[in-house]
Amino acid sequence: MFVQQLITGLSVGSIYALMAVGYSLIYSLLNFTNFAHSASVLIGAYAGYYYITLVVDNPITAALCSLVLGAILAALIERITYQPLLDKGARRIYLLIAGLGISIIGENLIVVLIDGRFHAYKTALSSMPVSIFGASIGVIDLIILLASAVALLLVQFLIQKTKVGLAIRGAAFDLTTASIMGINVRRLILIVFIIAGSLAGLSGVFLGIKYTAYPTMGNLTNKAFISAVVGGLGSLPGAVVGALILGVLETMISAYVSSAMRNLFAYALLIVILLIRPWGLMGKSMEDKA
Amino acid sequence: MLHVQKLSYAYKKIQALTDVSFELRDGEIMSIIGANGAGKSTLMKCIAGVLKTQENAVQLDGRPLARRPHQVVQHGVVLVPEGRWIFPGLSVEENLEIGAYVVGSSKQGKERAFTMFPKLKDRRRQRAGTLSGGEQQMLAIARGLMSDPKIIMLDEPSLGLAPLIVNDIFSIIQQINREGVSVLLVEQNARKALNVADRACVLEQGRIVKQGTGSELASDESIISAYLGGKK
Ligand SMILES: Nc1ncnc2c1ncn2[C@@H]1O[C@H](COP(=O)(O)OP(=O)(O)OP(=O)(O)O)[C@@H](O)[C@H]1O
Ligand SMILES: [Mg+2]
Repeated sequence: MFVQQLITGLSVGSIYALMAVGYSLIYSLLNFTNFAHSASVLIGAYAGYYYITLVVDNPITAALCSLVLGAILAALIERITYQPLLDKGARRIYLLIAGLGISIIGENLIVVLIDGRFHAYKTALSSMPVSIFGASIGVIDLIILLASAVALLLVQFLIQKTKVGLAIRGAAFDLTTASIMGINVRRLILIVFIIAGSLAGLSGVFLGIKYTAYPTMGNLTNKAFISAVVGGLGSLPGAVVGALILGVLETMISAYVSSAMRNLFAYALLIVILLIRPWGLMGKSMEDKA
Repeated sequence: MLHVQKLSYAYKKIQALTDVSFELRDGEIMSIIGANGAGKSTLMKCIAGVLKTQENAVQLDGRPLARRPHQVVQHGVVLVPEGRWIFPGLSVEENLEIGAYVVGSSKQGKERAFTMFPKLKDRRRQRAGTLSGGEQQMLAIARGLMSDPKIIMLDEPSLGLAPLIVNDIFSIIQQINREGVSVLLVEQNARKALNVADRACVLEQGRIVKQGTGSELASDESIISAYLGGKK
């Protein structure tokens, strides 16, 4: 029972982590929270649903399809909305509001173009349990956990070991300084949105498999946002740790206390963490950032 | 040759530069001296593409210099900004690697940097933010050289450094120049700046009020009283 809950919690947490890393990446470069992130999650969830229903019941190719669409949507949003605002030197609050607008438009477009109902994925996998250490564990949880781990490790590799990753880490300190090093900052920002959008699209399909696809599911990005803050905004390992803690905590509380208490308990604990360490678990302390 | 022609720049309300014209010839050191707020940093940022100016105000070898910062670097003109702006969270070596972003490999550049600044070699794995002020300035210059520029612009490289280190910095500047890099140097330390310069300009309230060889300006009465502390 405990192992089963733990795996479920980790799988929920790993979905949050996919979204949280995207938040953190964009925040580290531009110092604002991309509320339009939920649009890529939504498109991922619905693309996955239609792919599995209409094309073929294969969660792997469905996930790839959602990943690509999430990335394309994020790139479009960046080019059409954020880039012009950044070029005009708009203050971050305007980007924040633009993002909020996009997320609401996305939600309503789904209601208008499709409908407002819940769409359960018709995949054979979701009901298939496997047995590990005597505990019966959903195959889907294992797939989500593994796929997320692979995606996150790839991103970590990209950031730490490649030239583009080095540019991103430098640009996170200061965009102008990065540009006078010869880095095309505009393109770098686009690349970061594409990475974040891919992860969001992927998280969408996983959320869809677990919880169904529905218009307001973008609200789940709140949890990712909170994970990123708890981990320390701008820190990628922090975002992952924060997300896993949140996922496991939520699952344990609904299993052992009550599912009605799930959000209450989880958020209360997070607020406590923030009161003690406002810069997050793995963020740099306030003075350090200066 | 870098040719600046009637360059003007205004921040929202402040006219920072008015009709600035000069040329930096290949292989020379040109110093720009001027009081605080004269517009020296603004001028360098305009050339580097960080601030937008008129289309043809800056020409490199007879052609308009690209107007976006990363393109300016690609064309062989690099800025070492006032206040250093090294990447504090990255290692010394990673700072150098970012400097080499526009060139294929950073290997040769790093070797050159470590020969020129042996201290940086010892500290290559250290976080750049933990270097001393002098070491950070060395790193900023070394990082600028990593893109293998034709022209390097140094904005107040001696700012806040002890006199001995200032001497080091000036001999490094001359060494860089001997290796064939043209230098545009902005300095508060006018005496030293004029000593190393082939030619120099004086910037006052956004205008160039005097141009000449380094030694001409160093012996000019009005400059002696305004910038060299009155004594020869
Ligand atoms: N971002 C800005 N917005 C508005 N005004 C500015 C800005 N940056 C500089 N200025 C103004 O433009 C003028 C020139 O500034 P600049 O930094 O180029 O001077 P400087 O010669 O480099 O001075 P210092 O020797 O102190 O570095 C000053 O009057 C300054 O107040
Ligand atoms: Mg200045």
